[in-house]
Amino acid sequence: MRIRTVALLFTLFGMLAALSLIYAQNAPEASEKGKQVYENSCAHCHGIEGRGDGSAAENLLPKPRDFTRGLYKIRSTETGQLPTDQDLFDIITEGMPGSSMPPWETALSANDRWEVVAYIKTFYDGFKEAETPPKQINLSGKVSYSEQSVETGKALYIELGCVECHGDVGRGDGTSAPDLTDEWGFQSWPANLTQSWNFRGGSDTEDIFKRFIGGLAGSAMPAFEGDSFPGFGLTAEESSRMIELDNKDEMTEAEEDESAQLYEKYDAAVDIALNLAEGTELSADEQKIYDDAMRVVYEKSWHLANYVKSLSPEKRPESAIGNNVLRSQYVGGELPPMDDAAWEILEASYFPLVGQVVIEPRQFNPTIDAVNVKSFYNDTEVAFLFTWDDRTHTTDETDEETGKTLEDALAVQFPVKVPQGPTAPKPYFLWGGRLPVYLWHWKASAPEQVTELTAKGINNAEVQEAQGALKSQGTYTDGQYKLWVKRALKTDDKKDLQLESGVFVPIAFSAWDGANGDVDTKRVMTSWYTFVLEPVPSSKRFIYPPLIALLSVGFLFGLRAFVLRRNSEETNN
Amino acid sequence: MKSYLLASLTVLLACCFVGTTFAADSGSGEKEMLVFPEAYKPMKVNNGGTISGVVKFEGDVPEKKALEITKDKQVCGADEKFDESLVVGEGNALKNTIVYLIDISAGKELDKKAKTEIDQKGCKFTPHVQIVPVGARLTMLNSDKIMHNVHIFGNNPVNKPQPKTRRKMALKAVKEAEGPVSVKCDIHGWMSAWIAYVPHPYFAVTNEKGEFTLEDVPAGEYKLGYWHEACGTNSKTPVTVTVEAGGTVTQDFTLKLK
Ligand SMILES: [Cu+2]
Repeated sequence: MRIRTVALLFTLFGMLAALSLIYAQNAPEASEKGKQVYENSCAHCHGIEGRGDGSAAENLLPKPRDFTRGLYKIRSTETGQLPTDQDLFDIITEGMPGSSMPPWETALSANDRWEVVAYIKTFYDGFKEAETPPKQINLSGKVSYSEQSVETGKALYIELGCVECHGDVGRGDGTSAPDLTDEWGFQSWPANLTQSWNFRGGSDTEDIFKRFIGGLAGSAMPAFEGDSFPGFGLTAEESSRMIELDNKDEMTEAEEDESAQLYEKYDAAVDIALNLAEGTELSADEQKIYDDAMRVVYEKSWHLANYVKSLSPEKRPESAIGNNVLRSQYVGGELPPMDDAAWEILEASYFPLVGQVVIEPRQFNPTIDAVNVKSFYNDTEVAFLFTWDDRTHTTDETDEETGKTLEDALAVQFPVKVPQGPTAPKPYFLWGGRLPVYLWHWKASAPEQVTELTAKGINNAEVQEAQGALKSQGTYTDGQYKLWVKRALKTDDKKDLQLESGVFVPIAFSAWDGANGDVDTKRVMTSWYTFVLEPVPSSKRFIYPPLIALLSVGFLFGLRAFVLRRNSEETNN
Repeated sequence: MKSYLLASLTVLLACCFVGTTFAADSGSGEKEMLVFPEAYKPMKVNNGGTISGVVKFEGDVPEKKALEITKDKQVCGADEKFDESLVVGEGNALKNTIVYLIDISAGKELDKKAKTEIDQKGCKFTPHVQIVPVGARLTMLNSDKIMHNVHIFGNNPVNKPQPKTRRKMALKAVKEAEGPVSVKCDIHGWMSAWIAYVPHPYFAVTNEKGEFTLEDVPAGEYKLGYWHEACGTNSKTPVTVTVEAGGTVTQDFTLKLK
């Protein structure tokens, strides 16, 4: 009896699911209702006529989509194809992380979202004229995640030129990154592949695979269709051989023949792909060549997707609150310098940054995701290590509109006096007010220098007369800034913050990305967080220092081993 | 979830501050485009006429702007490269101007088999302005042993990597007249060219001497138009020329910066 009920329920549920799937594939006919929902919820940014030119659009980057051209970035379909209705529905439902497009899952009913899908399709005639449904990307050959696959993907990342825009380690800092524009001439920053939570179309391996194969239409990201792969139509071994031969300074006659043959096969497959793209019917032989070629391409693409997946942490780090509050760790002896392996044992606290939109000029389109912070202290000093990603190293660019100098920078903000107790008022988070704040201001143009400021408002900061209490060092590598700052716990300056173990101290950050037009109040920032010099029970006082000593020695040994191995590898080659 | 909230908040705030910031030039400023006839009928042209002339530049010739080669310097920086948006030769001859018939409705057949190529050599597109017959394949050559990314804008966008192994990359034929549209390489930001997809064969691009020739034009009266990247078009005030059977008409132009 019971079993039957369960079975019945399952069947019913299955039928419902199947029904909803069928329903999900297609939007209803465009209706007055869809127009109404669109005009209430979407037109501010996307415009009444769908041109992406709503009243709020001018402040936004990425720009709101212009629906009149049928170019959609996030699709499950091949390049040059329109999105499916389901693609449009999903984007409305889930929004686009890292852009201003919010998820509408709670604000609009599913019905309303379907109505909107139907309505936005009316802005582009291509939807009506399409005779066949858009061709979807085939996801069936998925290669599961493995270290081997990631390794293969890494080689492809370089071979296919991903590195040119996305950079050596994927932070979106490639040498071509600053010049990229979208179809409408607006700046188009390549994704920082180490921050998958900002991927516009989701961070699953399947999502990455679809973006790679289908491209992000309208943006600078091309589609890696089959024939964009070197050696399309060749087996993986044959294409490596072709490239190997290409790289030879001189070829023997036999090698030249071999190369010519490989190229002939390659060119033939490319021709077939082009004929197919133009709608020519393929012969059975041609179809086989094409299918075999695509199998190789798809397999490579899954390796690449696995590699990109491997570049980000499993999920976005938790903000530095609750259990993740920044706790400076006690060490007995000298504080570790910037490149010391000791820093590796600490888990960084993550401070997400948002655009400053309270005071003009504002920043609606932030490019810096967060600041990561670690800290150690001893009996007399405290050291911090700040890291943050920035796609470009900007030290002295001139803003075309204001004539101001744009440069990358970071400011760390504390109150001058620590509020006594959790309910005591803190200074205003935008660089203070009646209650002043104490600031460390670092600029990329002077990486060895941190200036102390006192501020009573975001436009009311003064350089302190007494400077020099701080030691600092800053570097920029592979799209990431690292800043190390050291200061005495106590100073003689009344305008400085005085630090004491066990006291929770408010801390906040501002950052500027010069290449994104950040200057003065146009910046990204946090509101107040807290940090504490973690008091150590006297029994535990001796854990960190020996650990650090050990680690430093261990690190040196590791390095030595690494160098030795490298050397022997080089001699072997 | 939190970031979503922030995004929504940003949108809301953006809405509140509309108009308080500078005006962006999104979508404003009409694009300077070619004008195509509504319909074109191919026919045999016997004893057609010729329109030829010279396009010159008027005004102070700006100093040649050297392009900043920021990467792949071995291949791209072997010789100095200059911005080609305005190439003025001897006697103020203006290169890279498209001269064409605006309102021709019948004439010689468009050659869809025409070989149209743009070479990428030394990280520069050659030619800078290319006419592509509607229905013909444009072939991108890669004479550099590095990768380029062919990015063609407009209603028939192409955004396609051309690996160093692809010496020739034929592109899908475009089926509608459009242009000129911009061509860029995303890897080498300074690379720039223009393509016009045209529905009839009466288009010419001026050479270094500023010369152009349109041949086999059926006798009649036509509007003669031009387009130049930096000098704009005369679409609103085209010149009228009368072509006689077997005859030659000369029509020169003098263009200024727009
Ligand atoms: Cu290039």
